Amino acid sequence: MESKPGDKVRIKTDKGTYEGRLMPSKEGHVLKLDTGYNVGFSDKVKVELVEKYIAPEKENPETGEGEIVIIGMGGTISSKVDYNTGGVHPHLSPKDLLKLFPELSSFPSIKTIPLFSILSEDMNYRFWQQAAEVVYKEIKNGAKGIIILHGTDTMSYSSAALSFMLRQTPVPVVFVGAQRSSDRPSSDSRLNLMNAVFTSTNNIANVGVIMHATTNDDYSFFHLGTRVRKMHTSARNAFKSIGVPPLAMVDYRRKMFEQLSPARERDMKRKTLFDKRFNPNVAMIYIHPGIKPKLIDSLSSYDGVVLVGTGLGHAPTNPNKHPFATSILENLKQLISSNIPVIMSSQTIEGRLNLNVYSAGRLLSEAGVIGSMMDWTPETAFIKLSWILGHEKKIDKVKEEMLTPLEGEITKRSAILSTTYLQVDKLAQPHVGAIGWLTDSPLIEV
Amino acid sequence: MKCGIEIHQRLATEKLFCRCPSILSDSEPFKEIKRRLFVVESETGEIDRSAKEQQEKKQEFTYQIFNENCCLVETDEEPPHEMNKDALLIVLGIAQQMNSNIVEEVHTMRKLVIDGSNTSGFQRTSLIALGGKLETSEGDVGMLTLVLEEESAGIVSENNGSRTYRLDRLGIPLIEIATAPDIKNGKHAKEVAEKIGMMLRATGKVARGIGTIRQDLNVSIENGARVEVKGVQELKSIPLYVENEAKRQENLLVIIKELKSRLGEGWKSKAKPIELTIIFSSTKSKFISNLVKKGAGVFGIKLEKHSSLLGSELNPNRRYGSELSDYAKLAGVKGIIHSDEDMEKYSILESEWKEIQDSLNCSKEDGFAMVVAEKQTAVRAFEHVLRRAEMFFVPEETRKANPDGTSSYMRPLPGRARMYPETDIPLIKITKPLLSEARKTAGEGAEKKMKRLSSLLNEDLAKKIFRSPLLPVFEQLIKKGAEPKLAVTTLTETLVSLRREGFELKDLSFIEKVLSIYNEKKITKAAIPEIIKYHIQSKETAEAIIKKHNLGLLSSEEMDRIIKECKGDIKRIMSKYRLRLDPKELMKKIKGSGR
Repeated sequence: MESKPGDKVRIKTDKGTYEGRLMPSKEGHVLKLDTGYNVGFSDKVKVELVEKYIAPEKENPETGEGEIVIIGMGGTISSKVDYNTGGVHPHLSPKDLLKLFPELSSFPSIKTIPLFSILSEDMNYRFWQQAAEVVYKEIKNGAKGIIILHGTDTMSYSSAALSFMLRQTPVPVVFVGAQRSSDRPSSDSRLNLMNAVFTSTNNIANVGVIMHATTNDDYSFFHLGTRVRKMHTSARNAFKSIGVPPLAMVDYRRKMFEQLSPARERDMKRKTLFDKRFNPNVAMIYIHPGIKPKLIDSLSSYDGVVLVGTGLGHAPTNPNKHPFATSILENLKQLISSNIPVIMSSQTIEGRLNLNVYSAGRLLSEAGVIGSMMDWTPETAFIKLSWILGHEKKIDKVKEEMLTPLEGEITKRSAILSTTYLQVDKLAQPHVGAIGWLTDSPLIEV
Repeated sequence: MKCGIEIHQRLATEKLFCRCPSILSDSEPFKEIKRRLFVVESETGEIDRSAKEQQEKKQEFTYQIFNENCCLVETDEEPPHEMNKDALLIVLGIAQQMNSNIVEEVHTMRKLVIDGSNTSGFQRTSLIALGGKLETSEGDVGMLTLVLEEESAGIVSENNGSRTYRLDRLGIPLIEIATAPDIKNGKHAKEVAEKIGMMLRATGKVARGIGTIRQDLNVSIENGARVEVKGVQELKSIPLYVENEAKRQENLLVIIKELKSRLGEGWKSKAKPIELTIIFSSTKSKFISNLVKKGAGVFGIKLEKHSSLLGSELNPNRRYGSELSDYAKLAGVKGIIHSDEDMEKYSILESEWKEIQDSLNCSKEDGFAMVVAEKQTAVRAFEHVLRRAEMFFVPEETRKANPDGTSSYMRPLPGRARMYPETDIPLIKITKPLLSEARKTAGEGAEKKMKRLSSLLNEDLAKKIFRSPLLPVFEQLIKKGAEPKLAVTTLTETLVSLRREGFELKDLSFIEKVLSIYNEKKITKAAIPEIIKYHIQSKETAEAIIKKHNLGLLSSEEMDRIIKECKGDIKRIMSKYRLRLDPKELMKKIKGSGR
């Protein structure tokens, strides 16, 4: 009888005999010894079965009626490796959640829906459409708050997508993730999830993201879904609001929900403007020195293009006809004249676009590139254009809608950001990364 | 008695999972951060008993960060980098010297530790080899495991459920060598520790100085239990800890036997905590009245038929009551007062004493425990006291080595449930080229090295330099052609006497320079300490110092001239030119001219 992961087995080699539990492995055999250490063996060794593993019965993960609905879309926070089968499964039954986070019992009834279990980078519009549909249905059924567990890498794309698909939600839709997986004692998922649940019970009704505000396990920021961005590969406080203060500062332990910038109020009577149509045929191009005109030409089969330009919103136009330089201006004009909207955004992430300052900007603007005076993030511009193209084909209408603020994705005034909003919390020490949304490294204090 | 030993030795490489230097800071911390940790299930779905007990304390941790040796990896803000190859090579080399069976693949594991000493809540640890043996005067001692793991963060302070740690130490590579329980007695344990320590030092790749090596002792006696005494720092105190632990278990067995006869097997206490604050409303005990003023209460619990046993001594100054007290501390109290203690110590009157006994409904045969704390804390403290009191066996424990040779309870002995795979680090296949590189890294081994040193030096000097932290510097000097005896005396005697005078040489490469000038016959041996001293003061080069202070070796002509000048008066010549001439050479010349 062949041994399977979980079984107690004996492995004999010329060096000795080892007994332990067989662990899942891609190649060879991995044995967990009684000391807890795992030891790897090559395929060649003989594996003798000692005792068969009997798997415990699995419970139905989707259960309950709840005022708060937790939807799993995958990512670090909502899944756990099942070492007995080697697979990843959604870790989402109410019992599991309560086991992980006993404090959840102090909140109103919670319903959980394990929707997907995918890696963040595999996310696309089909997942957003289905998630939007489920959220819409739950809100219609009376949910008072929605929490979405999501991988952090593409969370800001998803939060922007649901912001547009579910405009004017009457209740908060809170995305939450983790930078350290839930199976670690130091995981940030507990603070993040508890603050997400707490936020979903407050008087706010935006689609947004809850994540650690600082490197400390003290409080979180609630960021607007269309203005948030992951700005660090691994730190807890990777998520920053771009160009605006976060919506709120949240700490469930102190029952603190301090609003830091204008937000939409909760109103159960308000009707959600539900529109899940989405055109996935949009390209996003990172402008770089020496970019080839043929790259732009290759975009002619797309329905829309977002450029992530340099500085104020630039791309090579070679106005002085320098022999070394190559312009992509004509190629962009070609796209626009064939009714493909071209949207500008900036690699600087922070700051407003302005196509009037330099000649490159003016030439691009004259060519019909859309975006001067806007301050959207590249990702949000991409999502908004794709969403608009889902219901609108005429380039003029697309432009008009792009330039109209819908869900906070563009602001009229560039806020002078200071750290003063932190003073609302007397307990917030000016510790490492406390004002980290202005800085890249959590170890540098501004 | 059965005894095994675990040696933890820091390696002199960069940190194990990031590229920070393995140095400790003496500066002020750059920043502090605050974190919490939570207990999680192992990969097999179990929860470790040791971690669970820690969880109860619900602590907040403060971490001090230092610029020069902490990065985002130490603060748990960045995944670990690849395993430090230098450290792996050292351990693979030592494993080969010990004839231990090296694993085919190294799997890094997370060992759950949620007392805050690791920001991640686990210690990364990798099993490198299994088995092997060590020859000792009392027969072979088997090796269990060779492990490469991360050093934990150092504790700075602890108060009321919050601990402060410093992160400079976190992540320094440690080799952990665990022996089988083949050790016969305390003296034997010391020998084994010494021998392993020598092997490690012989590689020249391990850190030296206070705290860089620690011993954990695993002791059990017949009918007792495996108990780990953690953090013994000095070799010479190993026998004391081993013997005290054996004695503690023996004495516990006597008490257990008595308790069984008084209360029967499987006794469960039915006692409930009772508030006694009112008894102390006009007490003379400052200890009690001060705490009560701050809002604490006095609480007691009856310990049925425990009279006289609580005061029974297990180790010098450690009684059975101390064991219960250690458990009570888990709830956050400073300890308990028990009925076999001297009440005068706490200024508790006999009348108060009597009232306590009455309130708790204690007969002469009964004992009691008392705490001064908030009600909830007291209730939890008594839960722990009763839990310990009901153990009619020697519990498996991890204990902390106290400075006086005794130990106190830390946590239950952790089991395998505390280990789960470190998914951020790919497994490492151990290849033949890697093993041969490791052999070169770890060097010839302790025995061969000692033999080679003995061929260069007399036995005393060979032993002296073998034990010295400057052994790698010595080897380097020899390679560059220095005279072995002169190298040893310079590295040991000269540097030590300069240090006593307040001169500390930081740049040891200066010695190499001076000894090479000596080899070129440009200075005398006697001038060497002077040149080093001048260098420490002025930081000037050796050449500049020799020129400035006239320390160059006298030429034959100059010597002739001086002998003539001083009319061959040896005393006069030596007092003036001691540092610039070789006395033997001088004698030869004077004798020659006399003839």
